[in-house]
Amino acid sequence: MNRKIVGVVDYGLGNHASVRDTFKSLDYRCIISSDPEFLSGCDLILLPGVGAFPAAMSAMRDRGLISFLCTQARSGQPIVGLCLGMQLLAESSLEHGLTEGLGLIPGQVIPLEPDHWHIGWNTIEVINQDKLLLPSHGESVYFNHSYVFAAPEEYQIATAQLKESFPVAVRLGNIVGLQFHPEKSQLTGRAILKNLVDGLTDA
Amino acid sequence: MLKKRLIGVVTVRQGLAVQSFGYSRYLPLGSPELVIENLDRWGADEILVQCIDRSVQKLGPDFSLLKRVGDLGLSTPLIYGGGIRHTDDAVKVISLGADRILIDSILWDSQPMIEAISRELGVQAVIANMPVHIKLGQIYWRNYRSSEEVLLNINTAQQLPIEWISEILLTDWRHEGFSKGFDRRIPLVFPIIKNPFILFGGLSEYDQYTDVLSIPNVVGVGIGNFLSYKEHAIQNIKDKITAISLRTAHYTAE
Amino acid sequence: MNSSSKFPPIKCRRCLYTTDHPLGLTIDEEGVCSGCRIHEEKDSLDWGKRWELLKELVAPYKVLSGRTYDCIVPVSGANDSYYVVHIVKKCLGLNPLLVTYNKYFNTPLGVRNLANLRIKFDCDILYQNINPVSVKKITRTTLRELGNIYWHCLAGQTAFPVQTSVRYKIPLIIWGAHQGIEQVGMFSHEHAVEMSRRYRKNHDLIGLEADDLLSIFDTLNEDDIWQYRYPDDATLKMVEVRGIYLGNYVRWDPKMQHEKMMKLYNYLGANLDRTFDSYDYVDCFNYMGIHDYTKLIKHGYSKVTDHACREIRHGRISREEGFSLVNHFESKPVPFIDQFCQWLEISPRSLAFILNQHGANNRASVGYDGNYEYSQQKRRAPTKLLDPSEILSKLAFESATSWELKAGDQYITFGKGWSKNDRTLC
Repeated sequence: MNRKIVGVVDYGLGNHASVRDTFKSLDYRCIISSDPEFLSGCDLILLPGVGAFPAAMSAMRDRGLISFLCTQARSGQPIVGLCLGMQLLAESSLEHGLTEGLGLIPGQVIPLEPDHWHIGWNTIEVINQDKLLLPSHGESVYFNHSYVFAAPEEYQIATAQLKESFPVAVRLGNIVGLQFHPEKSQLTGRAILKNLVDGLTDA
Repeated sequence: MLKKRLIGVVTVRQGLAVQSFGYSRYLPLGSPELVIENLDRWGADEILVQCIDRSVQKLGPDFSLLKRVGDLGLSTPLIYGGGIRHTDDAVKVISLGADRILIDSILWDSQPMIEAISRELGVQAVIANMPVHIKLGQIYWRNYRSSEEVLLNINTAQQLPIEWISEILLTDWRHEGFSKGFDRRIPLVFPIIKNPFILFGGLSEYDQYTDVLSIPNVVGVGIGNFLSYKEHAIQNIKDKITAISLRTAHYTAE
Repeated sequence: MNSSSKFPPIKCRRCLYTTDHPLGLTIDEEGVCSGCRIHEEKDSLDWGKRWELLKELVAPYKVLSGRTYDCIVPVSGANDSYYVVHIVKKCLGLNPLLVTYNKYFNTPLGVRNLANLRIKFDCDILYQNINPVSVKKITRTTLRELGNIYWHCLAGQTAFPVQTSVRYKIPLIIWGAHQGIEQVGMFSHEHAVEMSRRYRKNHDLIGLEADDLLSIFDTLNEDDIWQYRYPDDATLKMVEVRGIYLGNYVRWDPKMQHEKMMKLYNYLGANLDRTFDSYDYVDCFNYMGIHDYTKLIKHGYSKVTDHACREIRHGRISREEGFSLVNHFESKPVPFIDQFCQWLEISPRSLAFILNQHGANNRASVGYDGNYEYSQQKRRAPTKLLDPSEILSKLAFESATSWELKAGDQYITFGKGWSKNDRTLC
């Protein structure tokens, strides 16, 4: 039986060992690449992210990955964005001035107010009955961000709460974004990644 | 609901993981990677690795240790501190696999640098380490390289670049390593209240954890030496403490 | 795994260790090492009080029904096993299940001592024999890749008691000394450190558990290594497994303890070639032979240094006398190479080649004819070298000379008994 292949987009920022090892422990093959040909042959593309929005978009542009990802999204290939990777799916971000994003899911990335930042393990509330995340409703996962993807409610599939509630997972068809770090959320995160990959790739 | 955190602290000196006592006496523990890997398996909420001799030796961050730790593929968030001098250092530390950084010397040497780092990484990724102790009811902040101390009050505290850091690690350096030693007045007397605290230094008992984690502004405790004496040290704390909202203990099944 | 090798090694002023010690060693501002500092506790702690703590600790584990054991005690034919069983059974009044791992390199004396142990103390004992094909495959791999022949012994000795604890649901395991405390002062006695998987992986198994061998070296299969797995956390928690060290509660002094056991229970020791201590490790052909040699070529010192540091700290010899003993024993010829090569089914030439590869900084130069030279520049003596025979008379280690090993002796295979006349290797 062929194992599923997850392609992690390498745009020169960050360390992918944790996400790679999580996928391998789930018995998926995991390739880390910036080559569009490789990535288009994968069952699912994973868009990681660390650092600031403008630098990430710039790094992807340099590697010709922006139009590639938009094309793949239109073709229906599953794409999952993690943390900053989720924010990159948005139309734009206000981090360090206004920067255009991939525009794969409507909405803008704005500063997290009034709390300024969201750090630590927090519970996720799954909304809109999304089947991918429902098994993890009420579980704690690890957050580490100060901007939030303010997507319209119809694209939100999970929220979290500090002083107020805000979206922490979004979805449009086969495009999914998670604001938290499932690869740094131990067993809970691992289960989420498994449900996501299986749910998005089982025909 | 946001949970409080148990943070496993790994102190590294000359490449060796050590137990530290008041930052003046050290006993060997072993390989930093294996101590860290163990904390990951136990389910610590975060792991903090502090390389305490890097700034003193003017060596910069221990990138080779970070690379080895990054390659472990940990599933637990990692905080790195030790020798971070400027933005390039900070960015490289994160790119090698740390999720957040701990800064200390820069607070003394070059405060404008903190704004630059914070803009680059996001304020959530920048934690300030402040070794403190209380003398005659007043709280003093210590420069561990020079042993110089500054009295912290509302005025002196206002000069710190607190808008560019998220959490503050308050280290009771005097009592670090000493059982039940933590001076619980510290989080109550510390003059900055806008930033949440992580407390560290001499926190060894279950009732201490329950006590300090009940303080609203305290988001987590760092525990160092005391995690090395028994198997399942992290899980034991989580099992025993019921009054505080912590993640439940996990015992890995292989 | 030596993490501090980037920094020039610093010597302890009191003993013979340096900060290059593979377990890790720190030196304080007075130039005294962590091992010597923690050793000071042996003369300052209230051992009466610590004995009471131990009694309190074990009390809840006493089984009233008499249908199972109170605890597990890992034993061998040497290494303070008698003393541990004496403390556990006679002093604490517990009913132990003894467990032992067959390391294959068994000497007649080791087999005799172990049999005498269970008979004199009237204890039940479980032996674990792992099949020779797996053991030899593992040892060939660890020798070739790590320059280490003892991995299977340490893995088995530290896994079997824990596996037995889980299988028989006997939660308490009682060990003797904690090597990290005794050698490098890794913990204070007052920390009452307990057995942990982290310590086992880091220091007993040089950083590699069974599954690491499997994933790193393609010569091994699941079949070869599964018996060496440590039980997982969920299993340990279910049984509430707990390993304690008597050395945290009893003032540990191996020389004195062995001599007491010789008097009380007729434990026997025998002279060894590469150290003055005739009580430890007499049950193994290779621990003080080829294994000791690999330690020397990889770390720059051998077991006699550990013995000398111990006796210096106990005040029986001076640092200069310790150094003289080390100098005398360290470069003695390595015995029983042929037996080892026959057992492992490799040629002496292959062994020499492998050892030369692992000797860091040209410490080893091994000739094909088995002439093992240790070519590192000799350490400068603190003063002039003293006459070893005078120091040995002072220490007065005893030896049952009729049990001393001779060149042609063979490993004893369990199941064939320990009659001195029956030496056939199967």
